Amino acid sequence: MCFLCEQFGDTKQGKGLWYLNASNYARNMYKLRAPGEGFKGAEVGLETGARSGPSIGDLINAAEKGDFAEYDKIQQAMLARGQGSQVVPLEDADKVLELSSPIGLIACICRKDCRAIDERNELEYTCMGMGVGMLKWERWPERYKGGVKFVNIEEAKEWNHEMDRRGFVHILMLFGAPFIGGFCQCDYPDCGALRNAVDFGVGPIKGHYVASVNYDKCNGCGICAQRCQWGALKFEVTNEKANVDLFKCYGCGLCQTGCPRGAISLLDRSSVPAVAEVWR
Amino acid sequence: MTYPLPMGRKFPKISVDLTKCTVPYLCKKCLQICPMAVFHVTRVMSKERRLEEMDPRVDSNYVIFAPRRDKCTVCNLCIDVCPVNAIKIEVHKPEKAKVETKGVQWGQQE
Repeated sequence: MCFLCEQFGDTKQGKGLWYLNASNYARNMYKLRAPGEGFKGAEVGLETGARSGPSIGDLINAAEKGDFAEYDKIQQAMLARGQGSQVVPLEDADKVLELSSPIGLIACICRKDCRAIDERNELEYTCMGMGVGMLKWERWPERYKGGVKFVNIEEAKEWNHEMDRRGFVHILMLFGAPFIGGFCQCDYPDCGALRNAVDFGVGPIKGHYVASVNYDKCNGCGICAQRCQWGALKFEVTNEKANVDLFKCYGCGLCQTGCPRGAISLLDRSSVPAVAEVWR
Repeated sequence: MTYPLPMGRKFPKISVDLTKCTVPYLCKKCLQICPMAVFHVTRVMSKERRLEEMDPRVDSNYVIFAPRRDKCTVCNLCIDVCPVNAIKIEVHKPEKAKVETKGVQWGQQE
């Protein structure tokens, strides 16, 4: 059990997984940000993304100094500030979409920040907002500059499968814990959440699964190695098979959904003792 | 606790002259050419203008900076592509004093 399941899971439903606990999508869990909190404005500085407190820039400075203690301290502060997020495979993503309403497709802020990609219409949207928070759009449309497209469960699933086909990792986000408010579709290096996890150790925690390759079925086509965003799955030249480093595997399931021969399956993380409690 | 960053390595320092680079969201050449995506572009977020619609065509509504400089390899693609020469990269060289690269191609003598 990850710490999110321990805090927000319900053993009576969804195998105790926090994101299959329907009460975490309930509208009375949603909190509006208190006035004066949150974004502090430009005076705080660019490097922090206008948030107060330590930033990625401070982590890099600490690493330059080689100061392990300071790095630890900044990392802990950033983890405490983050509200929690986890990598979710496609199968569980479908169950998540059945629990949440309304579902709105929106423009991705990470790709806008990182590559200046403007997603201005519903065919381009690569981000999903969930739950009653999306209704803020009616009140403050200026906060959603690319617009919002509200979809039903079937459309949302179809869209999510299309994102999976393109090769995006699904990361479920808490917006004011325990309210589940967003579903990011991420890739490296554009996406902030995924990149923070891989490069700095302050991003989402790993999913409840790990990938496992059936060597009898694998023919070494290498499609899974193209799809892995974490650097965990590689093509092993010696025996011409896919090879997974379970310590790096986040259990996103992209290799599984991409495999044309069905050679990759997702195991429960708890069934592999060495990585059962490896969440970062 | 994990340390994904190489501890003790000196990373390049990237500075963008915001008096020269005024409409980064329209230009976006460096953002899109960087192989490791070290640059970020963001609205100027002051408390008063937080909810305003920011026109990217107006000078200094958007600013560019390099938060992920740990991945910069000093390939100089951004310096070459910048139309207003606003980007500077300082590389740490232990044996000499700090040297600024001036858009010199790899292998070429300064």
